[in-house]
Amino acid sequence: MKRFLKQSWLDFKGQRAAFSLEEFALMETMYPFVTMVFYCLVAGYAFRTTNLSRWVVGNAFLLCTNTCVFSLGSCFMGERYYGRIRSIITAPISKLEVILEKGFFPCMICIITTFVGFGAGSIVFHVNWSGVNIGLFLVILLIGMASAAGFGLFLATLGLISNQMHLILNLVANLLVIFCGANFPISQLPAAGQLISKLLPLTRSIEASQLLLEGKIAFEQVLSLLLGELGVGAVYVILAFCVVKSAERVAIRKGTLELF
Amino acid sequence: MKSMKQTMNVIWMTMKLQMKQSFARPMFRFCLLINPVVNTIFLYEMFLNSGEDNFMAYVVLGAGLMGLWCCICFSSAGDINRERFSGTLPLIYVAPEGFGTIIFGKICGNTLISLLSFGISYGTAFLLTGKSITIQYPVKFLFAFLTAVTCFVIVSLCVAYFLMLSRKTELYMNLLEIPFELLCGFVFPIEILPKWIQYISNLLAPTWAVRILKESIAKNNMEKETVYYLILGVEVLILVAIAVILYRWMDRSIRKKATLEVS
Repeated sequence: MKRFLKQSWLDFKGQRAAFSLEEFALMETMYPFVTMVFYCLVAGYAFRTTNLSRWVVGNAFLLCTNTCVFSLGSCFMGERYYGRIRSIITAPISKLEVILEKGFFPCMICIITTFVGFGAGSIVFHVNWSGVNIGLFLVILLIGMASAAGFGLFLATLGLISNQMHLILNLVANLLVIFCGANFPISQLPAAGQLISKLLPLTRSIEASQLLLEGKIAFEQVLSLLLGELGVGAVYVILAFCVVKSAERVAIRKGTLELF
Repeated sequence: MKSMKQTMNVIWMTMKLQMKQSFARPMFRFCLLINPVVNTIFLYEMFLNSGEDNFMAYVVLGAGLMGLWCCICFSSAGDINRERFSGTLPLIYVAPEGFGTIIFGKICGNTLISLLSFGISYGTAFLLTGKSITIQYPVKFLFAFLTAVTCFVIVSLCVAYFLMLSRKTELYMNLLEIPFELLCGFVFPIEILPKWIQYISNLLAPTWAVRILKESIAKNNMEKETVYYLILGVEVLILVAIAVILYRWMDRSIRKKATLEVS
């Protein structure tokens, strides 16, 4: 555990060393918040409404994609660029552990960002939290984040088999905005789109939190959505495990880890 | 006359080279090819039940502008930094034709290829709905479009010079994208923003370029459009002055401190 934390802190310091405290705060808090405001304003204009609660909640969930998709997903890009990926592949530790080490502190920041997003968004857009079960809401939020972290883990492993990670990560972040139901009802999408949304993390958490906010949720429904969310996260962790094992084998057999 | 021809030749060759180089980068391909598609789908689904007249035009225009701005942020703005990391910045800086000409050529090349995002947005919208877009005054729209593109080239130039002074280009590139889309009314009119933010928006030249574009699609209010063109003209002139001042300041600083590759 001590080594885990030390490595995490070193990696976190390495990634953020170039930035001053103000720049760091701007990047981790202000920018995600402005993004959330942007989507909420688009929704307010497009749906002709001033009650933006469901969009504040939906987009606050998406704030954690910044960390789960970009921080976790891009973790092998830098290692390849700086020539450390060979050492990581040949080191006798689990590669998933390496990804978790790299994602630990960004995840902590992500939790803070998401809470700041909820708080600031609620103040700016006057979200009414009275009558909402805050404890249950926090459980939904944590499960949503865990599932998104599982997805991030899977994306990170793709960094071992592809050098197009910028493209992949940005595409995934955009797909989450479209298919997670944060901005418009999933029922609006064609059948294929609805299937994609079911395969993505956060869809069920966002649905559960929106229903909770509207006071329309039953215990069985929330349980089913949360179990589904956990299941999706678990599937991505298993997929990540399989991809890592396969990438390691291919890397050792072909010796092309740094070449493509 | 010969010098002018030479300069144009350098700009054209730089544009061609830049378009090839940009397209080779995965992030630019995302901005150019994928971003307009996902933005069009997103805006289409958002505006589907909005009751907006001719909403397809706004979806295509919004997604196209977002695509163009994304390309500007992640390419035009960051090109100087890329040259710095490739070690070619000093070479183009001391090139006989002048650094400003080369940077202008690079930005023109990027902007030209980025215009493809409007075509992709239109194609995506057409595939989604099977409907074409009504532009009642095509000549006026074309003129407005060219004006907007010119405005974006000048803005890119300023941003590129501004970012040349910092090595944290990646941070600023990311920070520029969404706030500008929000402030300049790419997707929704800025009138829905609080009054104090509208003052900031009105100081930004792209806001007026977007207004002119949207006005030119379906409305025919010449008086209003003339005012918009005048304001945009003044703001673009200010931007040109800022670009010149930035360039001279940067040039002096580079020669005095010799920090072209390290600052």
